[in-house]
Amino acid sequence: MAIVNGCEFPDDLLYFVERTQMTWVRVEGEGLRVGLTDPAQTRAGKILHVRIKPAGTARERGKPIATVESGKWAGPVMAPVSGVVLEANTEVEKDPGLLNTDPYGRGWIVRLRPTQPPEVDQLLRRETALARFKEILERDNIRCMRCQA
Amino acid sequence: MSPEAPPSGPEGKRILMIMTTGPEDPDKTYAPFYTAALMAAMEIETTMYFLMHAPELLRKGAAEKVPLKKGGNLKMFIDMARENGVKFLACAESCRDLCGIAEEDLIEGVQLVGSATLADLALEADSVISF
Repeated sequence: MAIVNGCEFPDDLLYFVERTQMTWVRVEGEGLRVGLTDPAQTRAGKILHVRIKPAGTARERGKPIATVESGKWAGPVMAPVSGVVLEANTEVEKDPGLLNTDPYGRGWIVRLRPTQPPEVDQLLRRETALARFKEILERDNIRCMRCQA
Repeated sequence: MSPEAPPSGPEGKRILMIMTTGPEDPDKTYAPFYTAALMAAMEIETTMYFLMHAPELLRKGAAEKVPLKKGGNLKMFIDMARENGVKFLACAESCRDLCGIAEEDLIEGVQLVGSATLADLALEADSVISF
């Protein structure tokens, strides 16, 4: 686990960092689990609503798979790779605060089946991801904190 | 639903938001931009049309001077709406006759249009929301 500006970045994850997007991806067999990173949840603030595309929805890379609202931020969560939604996390839809309190655990958002597997190789790993995050955290002056439930 | 279906929600629909409030009433400025940002994130084609005193909000440096009760100022919400892809159109007549704003005084990405455009947009939109 790497920690930068108080933001945690687990070593075993892949990362999608483009424009306003900072999401993580965990490879689980044929599927991928996707969620918001620590700096993404910090930037959003206490998340009040999340809407996730239902299972079966096909999405291209960079198209929204969910929308998140916090009262101070409203935006999309983009698909890190092209794929089909296998499962939306209904727990997080009922309790969006999980995105803040447990972003790498119970706060996951969707499971995807990638339809363009080479895109997975384009996701950032370890040192490459960390270097990119360091730039963004510095630029946007982000220090991570976890809202209490 | 078939195993691989395109999204079947609001994606691709069009919403026109008509904005008439300017910096004279800060409490009425934030929600339209926030809502527009959210709609755009939902892949709704979202256009905000600014007329009467509303174009004042798009004057360079103006949003930073609109304080919000929740803290901060209006600029972050305008930026968020733009980042999410909301289109900003300003009424040329309002800019010229009411606000005294020239095109070069407006923030980047704002298009000046005539009143007839409002009629076209309203007729083409799936829904029109007025603030």
